[in-house]
Amino acid sequence: MTVRTRWLVPALLASTAALAAQGQATAYLGARILPGGGPPIENGVLVVAGGKIVAVGGQGTAVPAGAATVDCAGRTITPGLIDASFRGGAALADLNEQGEEVTPHLRALDCLDPDDPAFARALAAGVTTVHVMPGTRNVIGGLGCVVKTAGAEPAARVLKDAASLRIVMGAEPSMGNRAIRGGRVDSIYYRRPTTRMGVVWEVRKAFHDARQALEQSVGAAPSPPSPGREVLARVLRGELTAYTTARSEQDIRTALRIAAEFGYQTVIDEAQDAYVVADELAAAKVTVLLGAPSAPQVAGPGSADGAEPRYATARLLAERGIPFVITTGSNFAALDLVREAMFAARNGMSVAQALDAVTIAPARLLGIDGRTGSLAPGKDADFVVWSHDPLDPAAVAESVHIDGNPVPASR
Amino acid sequence: MKRSPTWAVLAPVCAAAALCCRPAAAQDLLLQARRIVIAADTVLDDGRVLVRQGKVAYVGADVPAESRARRLDYGDATIVPGFVLAHATLGQERDLAERALPFTPDLRAAEAFDPWHKELLPLPRHGITAAALSPAPTNVAGGIAALVKTGRDRGVLGADLHLMLSLAAPARDPERPPTSLMGAVDLLRRAFDATQKGQATGPDAAVLRQALQGTRAVFVHADTFAELNAALDLGRDFGLRLVLVSARDAGKVLPRLAQQQAAVVLDTLQPEARLAQLQLPTRLAEAGVPFCFAGRPELLRRSAALAVRHGLDRRTALMALTRVPAALLDQTGSLGALRQGCAADFAVFTGDPLDLDSAHVATWVDGALVAGREPARTAAPAAATAAGVR
Repeated sequence: MTVRTRWLVPALLASTAALAAQGQATAYLGARILPGGGPPIENGVLVVAGGKIVAVGGQGTAVPAGAATVDCAGRTITPGLIDASFRGGAALADLNEQGEEVTPHLRALDCLDPDDPAFARALAAGVTTVHVMPGTRNVIGGLGCVVKTAGAEPAARVLKDAASLRIVMGAEPSMGNRAIRGGRVDSIYYRRPTTRMGVVWEVRKAFHDARQALEQSVGAAPSPPSPGREVLARVLRGELTAYTTARSEQDIRTALRIAAEFGYQTVIDEAQDAYVVADELAAAKVTVLLGAPSAPQVAGPGSADGAEPRYATARLLAERGIPFVITTGSNFAALDLVREAMFAARNGMSVAQALDAVTIAPARLLGIDGRTGSLAPGKDADFVVWSHDPLDPAAVAESVHIDGNPVPASR
Repeated sequence: MKRSPTWAVLAPVCAAAALCCRPAAAQDLLLQARRIVIAADTVLDDGRVLVRQGKVAYVGADVPAESRARRLDYGDATIVPGFVLAHATLGQERDLAERALPFTPDLRAAEAFDPWHKELLPLPRHGITAAALSPAPTNVAGGIAALVKTGRDRGVLGADLHLMLSLAAPARDPERPPTSLMGAVDLLRRAFDATQKGQATGPDAAVLRQALQGTRAVFVHADTFAELNAALDLGRDFGLRLVLVSARDAGKVLPRLAQQQAAVVLDTLQPEARLAQLQLPTRLAEAGVPFCFAGRPELLRRSAALAVRHGLDRRTALMALTRVPAALLDQTGSLGALRQGCAADFAVFTGDPLDLDSAHVATWVDGALVAGREPARTAAPAAATAAGVR
């Protein structure tokens, strides 16, 4: 594509912003549409109005009279990508409350900065929705939220303020904790856990206390109010999904064991050793978040967690029918989300599966598939116009639309 | 405070000398100047102020007939109400943050006030006649601010002021909880919630209850969007009378500020700041958000002048130095204007104080000269009397 035509589409798209704001229909014509969760549509038509998708289909799809049209011949349109584990949006220190190890009621939403540069980087990779969880330094970190990566009003960007409860296995939550060795005797870091055993003890104790409070609540004197315990009770009642970060084989097994012990639903996050425990994951019917499939090293304190990532893990999970979602996760070595999907496809899974793993699959997992995750009438008009097929290494997100509005690329 | 032993010996002598030099407390003062700013929106040309027992007894063009005041003529100068600092630590930060605990809403800044602190002395030279001595932003709930006047009495005035909270970076300490913004927000939310439900008792809960009832304003130190948003959430959920201090990113929450009728106390405006920061006062004014200038006392007037340079109208800028901070501290009855009954707190400049080439001439607090000089010439009694008789 020449430079001239490459910039033509964004220019046309920018001029449609005002129309979108007025609720007037805009039709994107001639693109190859990958709607998410369905077969590709060649020479497709996408009609949006009032921030919502009005119609999506093949060449014969009716375009409302008076609709503005944008020629997208040669382009590919996909739903806005969804990163189900996104590191960014807030200062890391603010996502990790070190005052206690178990802080189930703390909300990641409270420290999100809508102007964080990570949102702009995600947008450039075609990501329109992210799930931000508290950090990985606590055993039970708190509540994750789902937000869009851009929007006129910060409050309107929030899709879910409490979408998940983050639990972390492995060595990372015990980092920094210590026994008194001549330092400050009043240090808050003089505490459990300092080992994997201690991490598991903290999780088990928290859920044990929450379950006991639930069982006692009928007829017994009410326990003193505890917002943390109320969150855990929601997990135990199946109203909230736990996202357990477990990278190595032993941590994944532990995460599954604890979830089974207390009977709560969990997602296994950053499961880099998932290929080793595929049978257990399949049996437990859990969804797996693959944090940065391209990363050759483990996130967090790599040597301590001892996982050995394999590039073919995504393919293996796909073959075994284990539901999974591709994310960037907490790994500093992560590429952007579309490149991670490309990498997964490069290592043996189908292109359609790789795209679903960053669109409709995370939407269903997070319970936002009624709003986004695929291109279907009635859903939010969150979509990306790509210069090439999005899994092509040369693909560029020429324009990213959220609620029908093109997001300025200069952000 | 430490004083040398000689002070004890000299004190009576000095006191006697001071009595001789000062006009008798009972004697009225009649000041006149080319411009007298009664309030930001009321300016009197060639007017007079009659000061009686530390208060403004009369402002106007004519002198009351019975006045036997000592007459002082500031000539071409401009007299403005004394500036009010709605937030200050006055160099006493170390005594204004209880480091052992993050949550100390019942501590009183008044107890930390050192009337002889060296940072207090220069305030009148910058036109400042009153300040809210506030707990430092290192605690999530720092305590209760105190009103300080820069006059000769050097006392803490009247009742305690607002409750000072902080969600800003200094309130998060990696060595004590909360270490994160999430934790700080949760600490406050739980404390207000427990107080609202009647589950909390004790002196700290009593202070929070006053905030919940609206009898005590709540100042929250917050800078980033997330901090400001969390403060506004607290204000909305618990019905607090909210004032945001420092509020660097206030431009990002303008609609919420206006909607919740929250006010803003700005930090020092720096000339090298980004344009958006320099235009923030103008944007606040356009959105109808009350705000005042604070920060470093010696740069207070420069902050206001910079805001004017970047689009703020002069009247609003002067309000933000006088009337608005007085209102935020619930002191409009005595501070922020030169109306009858207000404290005789005023500053004299050679011209408009928002023009930085106007020099400071004098500052008077409670009717006494505390910085600068008296005018070289006294007003002609005959002319004044004639006006008074009329």
